[in-house]
Amino acid sequence: MYRIRFHGRGGQGMKTASRILGTAFFFEGFEVQDAPRYGAERRGAPIFAYVRADRKTIFERGVINNPGLIIVADDSLVGIPAAGVLHGIGTDTVVLIHSREHAEVWQNRLNLKGVLCILPATEEDGSLRTWRTIGAACSAAAAQLTGVVSWDAVVASLTEELSGLGGNWLAENLARAQWAYDQMSPFSGCVELETKETAALSTSVDWIDLPCEEAQWAAPAIHTGKTSEQAETGLWRTLRPVIDSERCKGCWWLCSTFCPDGAIQVDTAGRPQIDYAHCKGCLVCVAQCPAHAIDVHPEHSTE
Amino acid sequence: MTETRFKSMKDLPARHLLGTGTALCSGCGGLEVLHETYDLLGEKTIFINAAGCMTLLSVYPYTPFEESWLYTSMASAPAGAQGIRDAFDILLAKGRLSPGEDLQTVVLTGDGAAYGMGLSATSGAIERNLDFLYLCYDNEGYGNTGQQTSAATPYGARTATSHGRRGNPGLKKDLFAIWAAHRPPYVATVVGAEPLDLARKIERAQKIRGPRLILALAPCPTGWGYNPEQTVEIGKLAVRTGIWPLKEFIDGKVVHTKIPKQRLPVTDYLQRQGRFAHLFTPKPNEPLLQEIQARVDAYWDELACSNQNTAD
Repeated sequence: MYRIRFHGRGGQGMKTASRILGTAFFFEGFEVQDAPRYGAERRGAPIFAYVRADRKTIFERGVINNPGLIIVADDSLVGIPAAGVLHGIGTDTVVLIHSREHAEVWQNRLNLKGVLCILPATEEDGSLRTWRTIGAACSAAAAQLTGVVSWDAVVASLTEELSGLGGNWLAENLARAQWAYDQMSPFSGCVELETKETAALSTSVDWIDLPCEEAQWAAPAIHTGKTSEQAETGLWRTLRPVIDSERCKGCWWLCSTFCPDGAIQVDTAGRPQIDYAHCKGCLVCVAQCPAHAIDVHPEHSTE
Repeated sequence: MTETRFKSMKDLPARHLLGTGTALCSGCGGLEVLHETYDLLGEKTIFINAAGCMTLLSVYPYTPFEESWLYTSMASAPAGAQGIRDAFDILLAKGRLSPGEDLQTVVLTGDGAAYGMGLSATSGAIERNLDFLYLCYDNEGYGNTGQQTSAATPYGARTATSHGRRGNPGLKKDLFAIWAAHRPPYVATVVGAEPLDLARKIERAQKIRGPRLILALAPCPTGWGYNPEQTVEIGKLAVRTGIWPLKEFIDGKVVHTKIPKQRLPVTDYLQRQGRFAHLFTPKPNEPLLQEIQARVDAYWDELACSNQNTAD
C-alpha cells in the first residue's frame, strides 16, 4: 500500500492536493482513500491530508502514522512540533519539501537517512496569492515519485477536480503540475509499494487500557479564565506585521480595536504592541493603519 | 440621543478582555465584533453559545473567557439562557449569591441558528421577556461547515449549496424586523468595522433590562472569498453602499445611526468578494446587479419618505 501524508497550511489546498493525487491513483486502477484530518482547518494553520492507494482492498482507516511519502508544502512547518511533519518517519520514508533551500541543507538539518527531494520554491511563494497552485504541484510531484501514476492520469484528475472553478485555474494548475512532475523525474519510483501486512507489525496502543476514572478526575474543572492563551496561534502566520515606531502616531485605537484576535495591546506609553505568539497574520492592522506605519515581512525572513 | 461616554474613537478600550489563541479563522469579522463587545460588557458575563463557528472559541480545556460558557445545540441557546437566568435569579432571591456575583446573560449565536433553526426558541424567550442580550454574528451562511446557504445569505451570493450563474435565489431574511415585531426594549445592527457606533449601542443595551438583540454583520474571509486583511474594509463598504443599515429599535421606533450621505454603488462591495465573482465574470450580469441595487435604493428611498412624513 502507498501511504502518503500531505502537510501544508490552511489555504494552500492540501485537502484538494490529496483529492487530486487520490483521483489520479484511481484512474490508474488503484483502490484509494483520501481525506483531510478534521480539526482547525483555518487559513495559515497546520493542515494534514492523507492518501492511501493499493491494488488490494484497503482495510486501514484513520490517520497515517507510518508514511511511505511525506509532502511538505510549506517548509516553515518542519520546525513546529504541532505540525508533526516528521511523525512516524522511517528509513524507507521519502520526504518531499517545497523549499528555497537545497536538499543537502535539509538532509543535514533533519539528519535523514532516506531519500529527500526538493521542489524548488521561488521568492514569491510566501504570499497567499501564490498558494493557489502549490497543491497541484505537490500532488503531481507525489505522482511522479511513486512511479506508477502517469502524467495522463494527473491531467485527467486535475481536469476532473478543478475544471468547475472556471477562469484560468485549470490551465495555471496544469502548467505548475507539469513543471513539478518533470522536476521529480530523476526520483521516479523511489517511493516503494509497501507490501508488508501492517496488522502484524503494529503494536497495541497504550490508551486501550485506560481505566474508568471518576468523572471529577476524568473531566477536571478549569480554575482560571483565558486558558486559550496557552495555544500559540502565532504559528499560523506566514506574513508578519511589524510596527515602525518612527511612523506610528500612537493613535492607539485603530490597530488594537480592529485586530480580530485582540492580539494588539496598548502599553502604558500609549504604543501598540503586537503579541507575536498569538497574531495569526491576517494583516487587518496593516490595511487599517492611517499612518501606514505597519510593514509586512515574510515570516521566514524574520527568524 | 442619550448620553454616551464614547464621544470619539479615543474613548474605546485600549485593553482587551477576550483571550487570544482561539481557533477562529485569521481575519474573522465575528471574532472582531465579539472582542469589541466583550471589552464593553466586562468580565461579569456568561455566554450561552449556540453551535456554530464560535464553538471553536472554547475547546476544552481552552477558553478565551474570564467567566463561564455554556454550549448548546443550534436551536436552543435562548432556552439555555432562560435556564441560566432563572438559576441566577433564584439563587439571588434565596441569598445564596450576593448581587455582586450576578452575571449578565449573553447568547452568542451565528446566523444559521439566529435566522433559522433557533428562531422559534428566540421568539419564545422574547415573548417571556427574558432578561438577556442576544449577540448574533451574521456571516451570511453556515460558515463553520463550509459556507452553506442559510436564511441570512444575501440574494445572488454563491455558497456551497447555491452554485450556478444566479447564486442564492432566496432573499436575506430581515431578522431586525422580526425581532422588532415582538416589541422588545432594544434591537440594533452593528459591524466590527464601525466600533464607535457599536460601543454606543452596547452601552445603551446594557442599561436596559429584557430581551435585547445586537445583530452584527460579520465579514468572513473564508466563506465570502477575500483576503483576511480586508475584513474591516468590507465591513465599511457594507455600510457605505447602504447594504447594511446601522440602526436601532428603541421605544418602539427605528432610528438610523449612520446614514451614508453619498451611497456607493453596491458593486463596490460585491466585486471584492469571491462569492459574487460569478456576477462579474465572464461578463457582468447587469439585470441581477441592477436588481440588487434597486432593492437597496428602495430601502433608503422608503426611509427618506417616511422621515419626510414625520417631519411634516
